[in-house]
Amino acid sequence: MPEEKLKLEDLLGGVHRNEELERIDYVAIIGGGVMGQGIAQTIASAGLDVLIVEVSEEHIKTSQENLSSTMEREISRWSMTQSEMKSILSRIKWSVEMTDVAECDLIIEAVDEDYDLKMKIFKGLDKIARPHTIFISNTSTLSLTKIADVTNRKDKIIGMHFLNPVPKVPLVELVRALDTSDKTVEIIKKFASKIGKKAIPVYEYPGFVTTRAIVPLLNEAMHILLEGIATAADIDTAMKLGYNFKNGPLEMADAMGLDEVLAWMQTLWDTLGEPRYRPSPILRKLVRERKLGKKTGEGFFKYDADGKIIN
Amino acid sequence: MKVLVLNCGSSSIKYQFIDTAAQSALAKGMVERIGMSSAILTHQPLDKEKIKIVGEILDHSIAIEYVIAVLLSPNHGVIKDKSEIDAVGHRVVHGGETFSGSVLITDQVMKALKDNIELAPLHNPPNIKGIQATKEHLPETPQVGVFDTSFHIKMPPQAFLYGIPYELYKKYKIRRYGFHGTSHRFVSQRAGIMFGKPFQELKIITAHLGNGCSMAAVDHGHSIDTTMGFTPLEGLIMGTRSGDMDPSVILYIMAKEGLSLSEANTLLNKHSGLIGISGESSDMREIEEAIAEGHKKAKYAFDVFTYRIKKYVGSYAAAMGGLDALVFTGGIGENSINVRKEVCRDMGFLGIKIDQTKNENVKGETDISASDSKVKVLRIPTNEELVIALDTQQIVSEELTSARAASSH
Repeated sequence: MPEEKLKLEDLLGGVHRNEELERIDYVAIIGGGVMGQGIAQTIASAGLDVLIVEVSEEHIKTSQENLSSTMEREISRWSMTQSEMKSILSRIKWSVEMTDVAECDLIIEAVDEDYDLKMKIFKGLDKIARPHTIFISNTSTLSLTKIADVTNRKDKIIGMHFLNPVPKVPLVELVRALDTSDKTVEIIKKFASKIGKKAIPVYEYPGFVTTRAIVPLLNEAMHILLEGIATAADIDTAMKLGYNFKNGPLEMADAMGLDEVLAWMQTLWDTLGEPRYRPSPILRKLVRERKLGKKTGEGFFKYDADGKIIN
Repeated sequence: MKVLVLNCGSSSIKYQFIDTAAQSALAKGMVERIGMSSAILTHQPLDKEKIKIVGEILDHSIAIEYVIAVLLSPNHGVIKDKSEIDAVGHRVVHGGETFSGSVLITDQVMKALKDNIELAPLHNPPNIKGIQATKEHLPETPQVGVFDTSFHIKMPPQAFLYGIPYELYKKYKIRRYGFHGTSHRFVSQRAGIMFGKPFQELKIITAHLGNGCSMAAVDHGHSIDTTMGFTPLEGLIMGTRSGDMDPSVILYIMAKEGLSLSEANTLLNKHSGLIGISGESSDMREIEEAIAEGHKKAKYAFDVFTYRIKKYVGSYAAAMGGLDALVFTGGIGENSINVRKEVCRDMGFLGIKIDQTKNENVKGETDISASDSKVKVLRIPTNEELVIALDTQQIVSEELTSARAASSH
């Protein structure tokens, strides 16, 4: 089949070079951790191309293995097919070169919650990326405005707070920093809907909606446990049956990672200063003992290799 | 008449440019990955080299502009001027209860199509986009919509109502619609021709066995029942779809495995059927190969598949009070000797008997019934694009005639 000889433009005489359209076809993700992988999978399954930038070849290998095994697990739960997994993986490229993001139409940062690290990355990206490219941060606790300050595109910095597991949760909080432009918000809203997420616009404020509302509830359940009012299993059962929760608050905390929950509580307490955000001592204790929940096999409950609670 | 037949999906458009007089496609092709910078246009003119072009195609409107451009192109095209496209026929998946036949697209029709979006949220919006885009580029050319559902829409309430509260039918239009109507209609008409009698005088069961599978009871020219229902999930076992089952099973699995609605949906639509039972393949050819190699689960898959068809043959014969012809069509129906053989095995009591030699040597439209078979068993290749083109021609000619008649008065 003759392929390259004929170009589409030749058919129409090149009338459709539509540069103005804010086309998003190729998305860079900085950081291939759990969130980065989830975001990549979500975007690739919507048919877009993705580039994941990691710090080293070893990190890439680990990240690739984890992403594959997550998808294998989904296949075994019948929520994905082999060919869907294949086509998703074929749309994800990997690199250790930050300069590769120059080709991308959108850049999403998903590294650890560390100011200095994020600011360093944004400063670097500002030099590499095309001037109109929008930068997205996945931060849920740090000040986006402060991060935006190190760039020369403050109007094109916006937050997208995805929830874990990203491919399963149909929500994203769209976080406006002080200088984020309406145009940027509009473009990213469209992008969110293209990748199958309902976007809720929020103003930059610690915890936004989701973290702010759920973490104190988890903390309260921990206080109830600490005060000896009910067992962990009974607290969860009560909330599940009583309020139609899919998982009880303690299992939810275990699934999120107790170190994460502690970090959020700490941030809310530090920034908002209200005693109701003080982390429960039992949370501190478990984190000190490295019993971090599902990911370490033990938190408020014990878990088997498949992540199911051992009774 | 030369008709451009379009089948617009969410990110692809399949097209055929058909000369209805010769009943053949002058060119066919498709546009894939619409919305991407690396969209692909493949184009195959009759008796010429197939070409493939990659480039940016951002929406359906641009895609259709390219389709028209490639038909016009000096090297690969088949026409010299846009005006040689006499009409455009669109495949439309869901006509709801509004459309009992193909229609000329008017503003009113567009409104009705939009009202039916909720019934086919994945399929109807791209169909509508395709019609709008065609209107942009060929404003003077008449367009016709041909529905997957319309052949079945006159089935009686006893066949289309489910055993659930009637108010749900009123409120959400939950009922049996059926699909593959264009194919069932085409092959039952062809069966009439092979029978030497108009299909309006016959009782025919049609089995469209392809990627999706469905059967219809065509009584005196009308589909009076069909296996697919509110969605294409009901009825026969398919490559990856479950077909009929106890609805409580899915509730039970959801509770046991903690599945979400979308996971349950994927389970039934993509992980069930032939692939689900066999664990081997969703492709009947591979299932048959696996059986030959002694795979037990592949045999189960084959048996469940053919047994389900057999059951429906029996029930549709009962529903029509007799049977004159049984038609096999679609990829599996046209090509699997074993499926046809198994479905027709021990069906002599219904008057169905096939001639195994004929069954093994099919070509084009073939009568495979034994000489003493009361019921004719037919293999008829389907051609949905041709039906769409012919419907389009008929409706457009009628419109022209009535327009002329009106202007001469």
